[in-house]
Amino acid sequence: MELETLKTLWQEQDTPLATESSQEELLALLHKRSGGPIARMRRNLRKEVIVMVVSYAFCILFYLLAFNGSMSGVAWVFVGLFAFFYVYYYRKNLLLKKMQCAGCEVRSNLAGQLKTLQKYLRFYFWSSTLIVPVSLLASLAITLHNRPVTSWWRVTILLFAFTTGLTVAVYFLNRWYIHKLYGRHLRKLQELLREMDEI
Amino acid sequence: MQYAELQDAFIRLVNDNRGILYKICRMYGATEPDRQDLFQEIVIQLWRAYPGFRGDSKFSTWLYRIALNTAISDLRKQQRHIRTMDPDSLPAQLQDIQYNTEKEDQLQSLYAAINRLTEVEKALTMLYLEDKSYIEMEDILGIPQNNLRVKMNRIKEKLRKMTKEAVYGVGNA
Repeated sequence: MELETLKTLWQEQDTPLATESSQEELLALLHKRSGGPIARMRRNLRKEVIVMVVSYAFCILFYLLAFNGSMSGVAWVFVGLFAFFYVYYYRKNLLLKKMQCAGCEVRSNLAGQLKTLQKYLRFYFWSSTLIVPVSLLASLAITLHNRPVTSWWRVTILLFAFTTGLTVAVYFLNRWYIHKLYGRHLRKLQELLREMDEI
Repeated sequence: MQYAELQDAFIRLVNDNRGILYKICRMYGATEPDRQDLFQEIVIQLWRAYPGFRGDSKFSTWLYRIALNTAISDLRKQQRHIRTMDPDSLPAQLQDIQYNTEKEDQLQSLYAAINRLTEVEKALTMLYLEDKSYIEMEDILGIPQNNLRVKMNRIKEKLRKMTKEAVYGVGNA
């Protein structure tokens, strides 16, 4: 089968006629939401933001009002974490917005997607790993400030050991989780670009 | 432009070019539901990008870019099962097409061979069959013309071999 001879056959193949009902179907499609990978990532991000705002607001109010305000220091840790997550989600959303350029050349769109996705995953990985030791150490500092203990160095060493162990565990857990979520997508983009560039 | 006018103009343009969209969906979708999903996704992406279309490039170039970008980077799991379909259950507009059996058989074999190509090769084949020049192909895909020519020759050879295998059983153990 010669491709050249099939051109006419290809160009003359029948396509459904544009009828009244197909116009209506097209109109209905314009109001549907995208099922593409980036649109889904943005929807998931919005859900995470809602859960974060509700749960952090509850925790902040709880520690400010409960125990006659004696635990308000913890509330400030949550305020700090809230501020951190605000910046975190804002940056993630910016990266996701930049990730797709549907009207660009296919190669440059894929290259842009790959570069932004790698940046996105690096940011996701390091921020979600480092937040664990930072928040634990901030809690320790506040606790020691509010309730000084005689053997503070023993508590500090114990908590440092615990924080280190937990950070290492979170490091590997995040690596596995991010790979599970985005590994296939990343590999596919790399393969497509490699194929486009090879001669 | 008012929203309703924009919508009407868009629907008109999509209808004028629906042949291209159907061919892309038929190439990239393994089953009928996959093709419908892909068609829907391409129309959504086109509609989102439409207000930003300033006519710097030809409308068809812009449409090919968006449709191929969507088809190639779409990562939804395709439905692997093969579904049989009762002809009476086909949408009315599809039933209206008068199929020429011989032509349709040739087309089926062409699609079957194309189906074994990679996603990038499918895009190139599609543009080649649509009689696009290498300049236009470069404009749509972003691959340099020299590279495109080499790839296209390789694809033609690959398709020739595949169809030989299908006819003479070469390579089938």
